[in-house]
Amino acid sequence: MDSPKGKAALGVAYQIPRNTLALLMIAQVVVIVPYLLHLSPWLIAVGLFSGYWRTRVYQGVWDYPGRLVKAVLVVASIAAVVLSGIEGFSLEAVSSLLIIAFALKLIEMKNRRDAYLVIFLSYFVIAIQFLFDQSILMALYELVAIVVVTAAMVGLNQLHTQVRPLVSLKLAGALVVQALPFTIVVFLLFPRIAPLWSVPLPNSSTTGISDELTPGDIASLTQSDEPAFRVIFDGERPPSSELYWRGLVYSEFDQGTWRVGPRLLPQAPRVSLEDGLRYAVLLEPTFRNWLFALDLAEPGTNSVRPTRDFRLEASEPVLSVFRYEVRSDPRGLLDPGVLPEFIRIRETAIDPTSNPRLTEFARSLWQQTGSAVAFTEAVLRSIRQEEYFYTLQPPTYTGAGTIDQFWFDGRAGFCTHYAGALVYMLRVAGIPARMVGGYQGGELNPITGHLIIRQYDAHAWAEVWQPETGWQRVDPTAAVAPARIEQGLSAALSAADRSSLSIFSNARIGDWAIAGSLLELIDSVELRWNLWVVGFDGNVQSGLLKSLLGELTPARVGMAMLGGGGLSLIVVLIVLFWRRRTLPRHPVELAFSRFAARLAAQGYPRRPEESPSGFVTRIASQVGLSDAQVGGVIAELDTLLYNPSVAWGNAELKQLKRQLRRLQFRLAFGATR
Amino acid sequence: MSSVDGRTFPERIIGSRFSAWLDKRVPPSPQITLSQRNIFIFPTRTGFVFSGLLLLLILGAVNYQASLVYAVAFLLGSLFLVTILYTFQNLSGLQLELVNARPGFVGEDLEFTVRVVRPQGKSREGIQLGWPSGIMQWAELLDKEADTVRLYVEAQRRGYQDPGRLLVETYFPLGLLRAWTWVDLNARALVYPKPVFQDFPISQQGPRDEGQLIDPFGSEDFRDIREYRPGDPTKHIIWRSYARSDELMVKQYASFVEPRLWLNLDDVSGGIEEKLSRLTGMALKATRQDREFGLKLGNLKLSPGLGDAHLETVLRELALYGFTER
Repeated sequence: MDSPKGKAALGVAYQIPRNTLALLMIAQVVVIVPYLLHLSPWLIAVGLFSGYWRTRVYQGVWDYPGRLVKAVLVVASIAAVVLSGIEGFSLEAVSSLLIIAFALKLIEMKNRRDAYLVIFLSYFVIAIQFLFDQSILMALYELVAIVVVTAAMVGLNQLHTQVRPLVSLKLAGALVVQALPFTIVVFLLFPRIAPLWSVPLPNSSTTGISDELTPGDIASLTQSDEPAFRVIFDGERPPSSELYWRGLVYSEFDQGTWRVGPRLLPQAPRVSLEDGLRYAVLLEPTFRNWLFALDLAEPGTNSVRPTRDFRLEASEPVLSVFRYEVRSDPRGLLDPGVLPEFIRIRETAIDPTSNPRLTEFARSLWQQTGSAVAFTEAVLRSIRQEEYFYTLQPPTYTGAGTIDQFWFDGRAGFCTHYAGALVYMLRVAGIPARMVGGYQGGELNPITGHLIIRQYDAHAWAEVWQPETGWQRVDPTAAVAPARIEQGLSAALSAADRSSLSIFSNARIGDWAIAGSLLELIDSVELRWNLWVVGFDGNVQSGLLKSLLGELTPARVGMAMLGGGGLSLIVVLIVLFWRRRTLPRHPVELAFSRFAARLAAQGYPRRPEESPSGFVTRIASQVGLSDAQVGGVIAELDTLLYNPSVAWGNAELKQLKRQLRRLQFRLAFGATR
Repeated sequence: MSSVDGRTFPERIIGSRFSAWLDKRVPPSPQITLSQRNIFIFPTRTGFVFSGLLLLLILGAVNYQASLVYAVAFLLGSLFLVTILYTFQNLSGLQLELVNARPGFVGEDLEFTVRVVRPQGKSREGIQLGWPSGIMQWAELLDKEADTVRLYVEAQRRGYQDPGRLLVETYFPLGLLRAWTWVDLNARALVYPKPVFQDFPISQQGPRDEGQLIDPFGSEDFRDIREYRPGDPTKHIIWRSYARSDELMVKQYASFVEPRLWLNLDDVSGGIEEKLSRLTGMALKATRQDREFGLKLGNLKLSPGLGDAHLETVLRELALYGFTER
């Protein structure tokens, strides 16, 4: 006998089904591609190269890489990480290493365990992508990626002999779709807890205002049309020229750079507002604690607290879209009356020798004016009346005395230049003044009625302190380019400046009406996505659940989880079992088992090991029926039961039943004789 | 055969009690339909690793406060739950039936044919069956509603061999869970003694004292008379002639080879199993040489015959010699 055991033993050396291999290679590309935006192209190259190698192995052209090739690949990958300039233990470093591991594992993947490892790593790589980007498009993309990876897992459990990736994909798609209702239930009900420990953050690759401001920083921000945050006003919305989104206060000036300076003690001034503007902010991830709000702000969210300099701060860095409620009183005063001495010292500190020409200018101006108001007015007047220009591409001011160079030589600059010069002059005159960074303005989306503030709305202005008014906002940009404040960036820009912006920015600014309204539509979808999915944190959750369930007790949440979860799984059960319940057994089998039962009653039981035809043959020979008498029935039984290629219908079934009945009579007759 | 011995841990822990409980839970029957009564389901090791991955993802989501990382973790978790239903459903409703159990010789493989039928409608994939002592086979139920699977179990000892409970399992669709059952299809196959081949012994020329042979060229034919030589059987000495002539004469018989053999347990050497093995070998050899043969096993006597049916009867008697079970 040709031992089938021997044949099977050869197959014991497990081979990953080709179906799965193909899907895994597709999955690898799908999963790595979004990282093109965040990681070094070198790294992506290593990943895709190993994918290519694996494809050649799959096609049977190349062999698995030898030890030398593997070593070269590892060295190349590490070199890629180093070359990409990733510093320390950042999110980029972690994801880079993960992708290297993933790519290199794929290339030498041989057995089932390797395949599962690659699949699990793929899921991980998909999840980590969301730490960089949680937009709705990325979510849809990664959902498809999850289907592809799951299809590879399905392929691992299908019969090896069939290469049908489409079947696996279809099944994986069905599984994922059927898992979605339960996912939504858990997503809504799973308790959100505060971070357990601090985690590696992405390098400051995200655009946005930083805690160090060098003139030119904000000008480069105008190149980006990424959203910074969205605001939903509850009721009245102030005019655009009043929308100064205050985020950072720069108190230190050194060698042309403004810095936030040492942290002030967190003894926040009590702000308690009865009325004022009410709004919710959906801040895109900044990986920093600072938040943006209109003056004078009181937080309405637990994890947000006010600071000594009247800003708002989150208790944790904003790693994901963060939603916070704010109440602002535009008439509120900041530090009116007496300025504490430590703040006065902090906000008047300046090195008058750093820009000697401007120091000289400020001192003579102070002698002419004598009061802070008049002094400020005089500076603004000279900006307005003399030849000063507002531009995104100012000449570069380098070396010592950058403010001198700007004020006296270049006379062209962006908001930071003007605000910086003003604060410098005020401090030289001994008046407390500081630089403030944030955003100004915002576009109204007519579909949802929310404001969107983009990176190109970044702005810097000055604050001057006086006993009667406290800290008051002074924006020299309004003096040089009033249109910037009233109508937004585009109105203030020259044609040369505008050509330096991206197509999208120009479209948004209003060059093409149709494209603009399409972008508004996309933005309104994104708002809802951020509102209900990305920004769904503990605060939003408890608000929603309270409105759905009333008082939040663990028992109620548990019941909701059980009820919702059970319901969504019952849907899957119905899909799976519905058709089966209504269908009977194989009709031929049913007919035969009835026949066998009747014969057993007559004293001819069927032996366990007997096939239907074997049973008939044995009984026939026992009773003494000839082959001619039973041959037809046996042939018919075998055909209908075991030959799937023969089509049969009711006529054949009826005939078989008749034959069986006749046979039963013959046997009964034979037995009595 | 790690695939079969790699039983998941509930069985390994519960051990023999499990099998006693199983006998009640899934009683032996030649035809069994799988349902929630007899299907077990438990995560595989991969499933546990997968759960670990989910925990890691949730930790990451907590620390990064990333809603969509939560969403990925929950989606994968839901996938796991949905898979429980899928894996269970993959076995549920399957009908198993033992179609045939082909006998074999000790040391060879016994072939059991099991027919697996799925209910109409949803196709089934990745269903494996096998006995703990054999190799798992796949049942292909993707495009067709029934599949017959041939399973091989090594024949251990002469007599009826019961391979025990049949393992039916599936890891479909994701391999995170294993649904399985142990069914007893009342399978038993006849195991013939291991054949030992040797020459037919000379004395196996049939029981002469019964004289029922009619063959004119039978071994009893007298041929000649010659002088006695030492070593001649004393039976053949013609004592009447010795009384007359003082000469020892012996009758010579034609030693034609008897075409119909008698295989007698008493005519072969060795222990009882060895004797049965030798007889088995002879029966096979005789059939191959197209020689009629009969069998004598203690009280049992099978008259000589030829052909596969006869050989099967003989082998069956050899296999079951000494057993009461038929």
